[in-house]
Amino acid sequence: MDLSQALLLFVVFTPGALFGALALLWLAGYVPAERVVSRITGIAFAASAAALAVIVLRLAFTGSDRVVARFGNWFAAHQYEFPLALMADRLSLPFLAMTVMLSGLIGRFSATYLHRERGFLRFFLLLHLFTFGSLLAFAAASFDLLAAGWEVVGITSVLLIAFFDRRIPPVENALRVFAVYRSCDVGLLVGVFAMHHWAGGASFVRGLPALTEAQGVIVCLLLLLAAAGKAAQIPFSGWLPRAMEGPTPSSAIFYGAISIHAGAYLLLRAQPVLVQSKLACGLVIAIGLLTAIHGTIVGRASADAKTSLAYASLTQVGVVFVEIGLGWTWIAVAHVMGHAMVRTLQFLRAPSMLHDYHQMHSAAGGELAETGKHLDELFPERFQLWLYRWALDRGHLDTILDRGVIEPLMRLSNLLARIDDFGTGGALKRRREPVMRLTSIRPGSD
Amino acid sequence: MANSGFILIVAAISIPWLGALLAVLIKRQSRALGFAAAAASALASGLLLQGSPGRESWNEALMLLFSCLSAGALLVLPRRDCTPGAVAGMLFLQGSTLLAYSTGNLLVLLAAWILTTIPFLPARLFGARSWRPKIALLSSAIAFALAVAVIAAGGRELSIDRLNGQSAGGLPAFGLLVLAVILRKGICPAHAWVADAAESGPLVPTALLLNGHLGALVVAKLLVPLFPDAARNLFPALSHLALATALYVAIRALSETAPRRLLALLALSQSACILAGLESGTAEGITGALLQWLVVTASTMGLFGILRLLEVRFGENLTAAVHLGLAEHAPRLAVFFVVFGLALVGLPGTLSFFSQDLLIKGMLESHPLTGLLLPAAIAMNAISIFRLFTRLFLGKRRTGFTVMADALPRERWILTVGVLFVALGGLFPNAIVSLRWAESEPDGQGIHSPVKP
Repeated sequence: MDLSQALLLFVVFTPGALFGALALLWLAGYVPAERVVSRITGIAFAASAAALAVIVLRLAFTGSDRVVARFGNWFAAHQYEFPLALMADRLSLPFLAMTVMLSGLIGRFSATYLHRERGFLRFFLLLHLFTFGSLLAFAAASFDLLAAGWEVVGITSVLLIAFFDRRIPPVENALRVFAVYRSCDVGLLVGVFAMHHWAGGASFVRGLPALTEAQGVIVCLLLLLAAAGKAAQIPFSGWLPRAMEGPTPSSAIFYGAISIHAGAYLLLRAQPVLVQSKLACGLVIAIGLLTAIHGTIVGRASADAKTSLAYASLTQVGVVFVEIGLGWTWIAVAHVMGHAMVRTLQFLRAPSMLHDYHQMHSAAGGELAETGKHLDELFPERFQLWLYRWALDRGHLDTILDRGVIEPLMRLSNLLARIDDFGTGGALKRRREPVMRLTSIRPGSD
Repeated sequence: MANSGFILIVAAISIPWLGALLAVLIKRQSRALGFAAAAASALASGLLLQGSPGRESWNEALMLLFSCLSAGALLVLPRRDCTPGAVAGMLFLQGSTLLAYSTGNLLVLLAAWILTTIPFLPARLFGARSWRPKIALLSSAIAFALAVAVIAAGGRELSIDRLNGQSAGGLPAFGLLVLAVILRKGICPAHAWVADAAESGPLVPTALLLNGHLGALVVAKLLVPLFPDAARNLFPALSHLALATALYVAIRALSETAPRRLLALLALSQSACILAGLESGTAEGITGALLQWLVVTASTMGLFGILRLLEVRFGENLTAAVHLGLAEHAPRLAVFFVVFGLALVGLPGTLSFFSQDLLIKGMLESHPLTGLLLPAAIAMNAISIFRLFTRLFLGKRRTGFTVMADALPRERWILTVGVLFVALGGLFPNAIVSLRWAESEPDGQGIHSPVKP
């Protein structure tokens, strides 16, 4: 193992090891002081950033375009292998750097922001676990390992949405987000198995698995389902405002920067297969375009700072999807990087938004021009009102999902429960989950 | 070596039975006595596993797992449940289950099958208040007994090894065995008794009964090797039924608000995948099924144990219909619960991530269309387990409720061992996969070999 490989291993597994160590300490009854936790976090991310810089410099000097670290198979059964290989190439390095830098920044910011907050240690534990999951997903050399990191990101995301666990809405919204994530992740799982089945593997160290055109379309559509779920693209956009229930630093890193772009990364990884299929490309462009339009309209009608920032984020990710569908890989990567940085800053400044606004207002001499007025004038008033109502209900996406998927499923579940109770003479009659339970709490209600 | 193997088997089975007898007679220090007996049995099973060649290690691995499970269950059992009768019943169940795992004789297997059901029939021991569990257990025992009679009459032989490939008893025997498996394993339409047993019976002993997975054992030990032709043609029907059960129960669980029933439904849905994997006929599917066996056993035992601990602390009116906010009082129990729960449904870094990876791969390979039901069922189970976690542990703190103990040291350490098992199994799965690999050769011979003393 050469230095670059060792450093890549260090970068990816340091947050995971920190999570494990801190969690075991807590289980054993020792709760480290806030200062200790924030110091350890700072040192770990600084070291990771330095290691990543060394990897980039070594790549630049050697002229190589990637570092691959293979550790054999995580497991193997018969002809099925789960390779444990990490790779830092031109695509993954920017994402790795973004993750390390922003996680370190969020760690530093949160040490003050969450000072003496109940759950300080829990936040940092989940931050480390999330960073580990993201780095694993971005540095994975196969879709199998990418899926493992992907799932970890999803679980930490949900646990952080429910961070303020004494209030019901964050908890219920976390459940809703979890449901969307898990449902869409089926696409990733089945897509990976389809690659194994048709191409004998899902590693992309030497290019993507060889698939026929039809197979490529199926795999791309499955991956698109997973990517759309994670990136809150239409029709799954409804979970994003619900996710704003978490603490601001986690919203910044998840929905302004890393998690929301994981879907784009997945599609970028699959792009060599994607570009072969006009159908899949067209679908990616259509979903991205619709999401961008949806995001910009709904964002304008959002009443709170974090939700309007979330929709602004959604709009940009939609545009990134369009770029990916058009095959503009490097524009998409640059767009992701720039957007993640700016949006993280905006999210972190969100609690001071009024103060910033007043400052800007004074600096502009007491008059700030209204934006979007020229767009308003393009449409008749009745259409504007309709659009406003549409935007207030966030494009009715949650309602469509509720009525089309959740309600029928819950009705079926209640019916099965009644069938199961048949013959018990009513002795086992009990309360059931109401049909609308998963849908009754809307973002912002408390 | 053969003699020492036989002695170890006898020790692993008889020590728990002896412990059960002593627990009833002495009536003091029941937990210590029970744990010592279960641990001694685990030690004997461990030695047996260490001395066994690769191809014959599955039965010994199961014996070790179940002995450890019993020992853990005895430690985690709340004081109010830890009566001499309960300890004796659990030890009796342990000995009987180990007998089923280790035997190569049809009659002994039938005896073990019946013995494991006995503690769950009388109401004063582990009998459920509902009638369905008793009927299901009795019917499965009758079906199994009839099957053994038909096989013995057809093959004039009781050794499983010698009956291999003979299809003794023909289709009637095969059908009766399938019926016994369906009833015992809780496969649709005979699934309702499992939730009834968990709800109206003692939780920890019922979890032990369910985690014996004798239905899956009969599939692996008898159905496939004894009836290769029938298995090839008719077995896929059972596999589809198992998949349908996994999905049916997963959908059913979405609206359940009674924690005991909900956990039982999730355990049933996840364990139905074991049968589907065993039938898949692919090495990946079979290996995945065997790993899933370990995962479901460890995770559901942990979950049922934690639920019982919450019940004795909080009161037995726990419900998932409202948020109880118990994490504030019992943060460690909350963490154990979420880890076991997510480990049950494929959390990366736990053993179930790989077991379900292999299961889905095997199922999609053998049944591309119906195989798609499996990831859908697992996704719904994940949503249900997370819902149960949020309802029990998160939300507003219950008013008028002052003190509730978190995990006691005794409980904390045994639950940590369980978490380490699923976590270390996930970090180093090759150690377990390679052990199981010898058992899941595509010819399917390995999993069917009984222990040879």
